[in-house]
Amino acid sequence: MSHTLHRKGTTDNLSGDYVMLAMSAKGVNAANSSRALKDFFSIISKYDWVNMGEVKVGGAYVASFQDIVGGVRDTSVAHAVFHDKDEFARVIAEVKKADLGLSVTISGLLGIMNEVLTATGLSPHTVEVSLGIKGKTELLPHSDLLQITTMCGHGMVSQALARKTLIDIKRGRISLEKATELLATPCACGIFNPRRARIILEDLMDTWCMDEP
Amino acid sequence: MRINPGKCVGCGQCRVFCPMGCIAFTRKDKGGQIQCRINEDECVDCEVCLRANACPTDALEQPPAAWPRSVRGTFSNPLITHKETKVPGRGTEEIKTNDVTNRYKCGYVGISAELGRPVLGARLRDAERVFMVLAPLAVEFEKQNPLTSLLADPATGKLKEDVLGEKVLSCIVETIAPIERAAEILDALDKVAGEIESVFSVDLISRVEEDLSIPALEMLKREKRSYALNGKINIGLGRLCIKGADC
Ligand code: SF4
Ligand code: SF4
Repeated sequence: MSHTLHRKGTTDNLSGDYVMLAMSAKGVNAANSSRALKDFFSIISKYDWVNMGEVKVGGAYVASFQDIVGGVRDTSVAHAVFHDKDEFARVIAEVKKADLGLSVTISGLLGIMNEVLTATGLSPHTVEVSLGIKGKTELLPHSDLLQITTMCGHGMVSQALARKTLIDIKRGRISLEKATELLATPCACGIFNPRRARIILEDLMDTWCMDEP
Repeated sequence: MRINPGKCVGCGQCRVFCPMGCIAFTRKDKGGQIQCRINEDECVDCEVCLRANACPTDALEQPPAAWPRSVRGTFSNPLITHKETKVPGRGTEEIKTNDVTNRYKCGYVGISAELGRPVLGARLRDAERVFMVLAPLAVEFEKQNPLTSLLADPATGKLKEDVLGEKVLSCIVETIAPIERAAEILDALDKVAGEIESVFSVDLISRVEEDLSIPALEMLKREKRSYALNGKINIGLGRLCIKGADC
């Protein structure tokens, strides 16, 4: 379930993309962990997050904060996404201070995450890296579209939706803001980063042609 | 997933949400009512179309699926929790709880191949191809992974015959092995890539040593294998006793 890994992008636009995930371990420390998971969401809510969610309830673009927190169970996986690395560092510092005992995993540019961990007096425990895509890569859509669709690691954001929103923006049928909100809705965990999607779409609006494959 | 022809008005609103692109316009006769139809062989029962709430007539219906069709939904719909792992989605907790489970120990690596990711989806026959090149290497397939439970013979990597044609949004062949075996596992994945009908994404997991060195990443450098600049880190905050859990 490496759903926050394999996000495609450029160093530039990935520098605005940080995911944090908290959970307990089934059969180890999950019993009665829901309170700590709710506390985790309370901490997140104080910061400038760009998305958050829990898969059974949905992301922040389909569910309210109250619904997300209300749906938290011992087995929940809590997600939050940040655009700014300094804000991300502040959240990590507060989560560390809260000492909830939940396992916390972060995703983003490895160099920046290591800097942030050093600054907050933490060190990595386990790392996971992406070694790329193999097989019939010629069947994949344009890499520009993959930058958008791979922000939902469960593959819920279709290439057709990415393509359509891009064309609709170009034709003036939908605003950038509405387009990024729409793209965020299928991602049930709330790990799609609409702020980064906006940057990608803004960039593509200038270069993308209506007849791109 | 099915579209109820008695309800569909052919507006096409559902089509754009389908990750598999398997909803098409159709009509019985020239001049007849246009409707949408789902190619059920390509559909992975992810229910994205249903959750999009795009259909004005509630024409999308997910009928209960019998075995082996039932594996489509359990691997493709992250809202379904696997009976085996109690984790929603197609994988395990992998590194996310490694600070309390110690699933990946120092000296070991986790190497996974996620079939169908990104975008394309995959038939389980592709997963079998990957299992079959890895099985002779005597790697350990992650028991908690729901795909492992579909193995008919872990020694050969053969999957249960009746699931081979089933299509899923993605599924993960998850291995754990001593770090010395990593290079040959990665070579085997390179080799099988040419036989796969879809795509797969590869990842590697490693514990960080006390001196903060990461032997698996050093191995990748030695093997002249590159990895993405963005990745995942478990930051070691997990405790056996969680705050407020009265333990
Ligand atoms: S269930 Fe998923 S694959 Fe099937 S038609 Fe709906 S969106 Fe497409
Ligand atoms: S949204 Fe509903 S009515 Fe419209 S084409 Fe799809 S199934 Fe038919």
